[in-house]
Amino acid sequence: MAYKDFRDFLHTLEKEGQLLTISDEVKPEPDLAAANRALNNMGDKTPALFFNNIYGYTDARIAMNVMGSWPNHALMMGMPKNTPLKEQFFEFARRYEQFPVPVKREETAPFHEVEITEDINLFDILPLFRLNQGDGGFYLDKAILVSRDLDDPDTYGKQNVGLYRMQVKGKNRLGIQPVPQHDIAIHIRQAEERGENLKVAIALGCEPVITTAASTPLLYDQSEYEMAGAIQGEPYRVVKAKDADLDLPWGAEVILEGEVLAGEREFEGPFGEFTGHYSGGRAMPVIQINRIYHRKQPIFEHLYIGMPWTETDYMIGVNTSVPLFQQLKDAFPNEIVAVNAMYTHGLVAIISTKTRYGGFAKAVGMRALTTPHGLGYCKLVIVVDEDVDPFNLPQVMWALSTKLHPKHDAVIVPGLSILPLDPGSDPAGMTHKMILDATTPIAPDIRGHYSQPLDSPLGVAEWEKKLSQMLR
Amino acid sequence: MHICPRCESNRSEVVTRSPVKGAWEVLLCPVCMFTWRTSEPDSITDPAKYKSAFKVNPQDIPNAAHVPPIPEWVQGRS
Repeated sequence: MAYKDFRDFLHTLEKEGQLLTISDEVKPEPDLAAANRALNNMGDKTPALFFNNIYGYTDARIAMNVMGSWPNHALMMGMPKNTPLKEQFFEFARRYEQFPVPVKREETAPFHEVEITEDINLFDILPLFRLNQGDGGFYLDKAILVSRDLDDPDTYGKQNVGLYRMQVKGKNRLGIQPVPQHDIAIHIRQAEERGENLKVAIALGCEPVITTAASTPLLYDQSEYEMAGAIQGEPYRVVKAKDADLDLPWGAEVILEGEVLAGEREFEGPFGEFTGHYSGGRAMPVIQINRIYHRKQPIFEHLYIGMPWTETDYMIGVNTSVPLFQQLKDAFPNEIVAVNAMYTHGLVAIISTKTRYGGFAKAVGMRALTTPHGLGYCKLVIVVDEDVDPFNLPQVMWALSTKLHPKHDAVIVPGLSILPLDPGSDPAGMTHKMILDATTPIAPDIRGHYSQPLDSPLGVAEWEKKLSQMLR
Repeated sequence: MHICPRCESNRSEVVTRSPVKGAWEVLLCPVCMFTWRTSEPDSITDPAKYKSAFKVNPQDIPNAAHVPPIPEWVQGRS
């Protein structure tokens, strides 16, 4: 089911009625961001947008909201576009277990068509634009960045492929935000301890499977390329960068090669973030771009980000939930049923579990706090019973309203880590965290009146199957 | 030279011009790194109308927190 490249996926979206082409002239600001914001306000089944007539440009082509809905997420996985979310979650989890699928290496790629090494000017080459009014500049926010572990360069999984916001701060300069919980911060530290620049490569306009793998909170030594192979069910195609020993996604539209300048920090931001707040301005590392290559007439992909929900939330919803699900299952293989960590990248996580004895659900919640992703997110963990669907918020609210006793079931753990972008963290990067146990108390935790749960009329399961078939 | 709408330094420079002649220019301030396009609304381009909550005082820039902090050079790392 692998998509050959970014254009192949756009063709699929078009064929499935999930790509809307805007041929009327639009202004780079505020139209591009405004159209996307408006689209994100219109529900969870929206199409991608394709702009081909942008004021002041002659041949700029910009795709946005490419993964910004559940139908587009299903198509990314090669599933029918109307696949229910819960089914997408379990299918993603099934493919996740196929990891690792070794990569397929290629010698050349379509992006080798045009190469620029002299007088680089990112503002000329890329149709850049502002997203939100308080942004400090123009950003790349759906580009993947590749870097390698300097202490252990031969361990393939330690090559990192990640999505990081990058502010364009000069003709050949980018600013990057390396949140300490993310892998790029480790590589930058390794290079700076040596007093060396860190070689990096940046790919824009990628087919969505690598973007999904790059935004999945994998373990540090797990390869995003090998996970992309697992998700798409066949080896992921890569080609070597020219200036460094780094693998690039074969199907990208544009590649930037460069280096993080050791010991350099420069004012960056603010940027309207997935938290629904601006990040503030801080001094961050700088990337110098030395080489660019791209397809002829490249399609520039961009992502509107801001108050949830936006494309980001669809893109990092299922793939944030699944690693937490798997890591919790490692600890409690017979109990964990499903995990929904789709809210603000898992700042809120809902876990459905069986319980073995009184207090068990609270232990599940505490394990979530200590998973790699939980260390930077999972500020509020809600634990529900096995018969509550964590993707069905009315059911979760029912569990909270009827199972939870604040005296017994609200646990606050003080002084834990959180990503510094959490606007409530104080100081930035530190927070208390809370577990809400909304499971039914069981022995020896004997309390409440739970001996007469409401059941359903006989035959509901059969009717559910029959009616869903009739409605397809 | 142009006035930066955000930090009001007068050192901003044109980094690109629209491929269609005369539509817009993109300017960059080397002091606060603010970037803007001349065709943007005046709430972005006009220093007097730029939102006060997002203004930057050039004197504060050297004190901005380092994220991440620059680590010490470690002898023998290679």
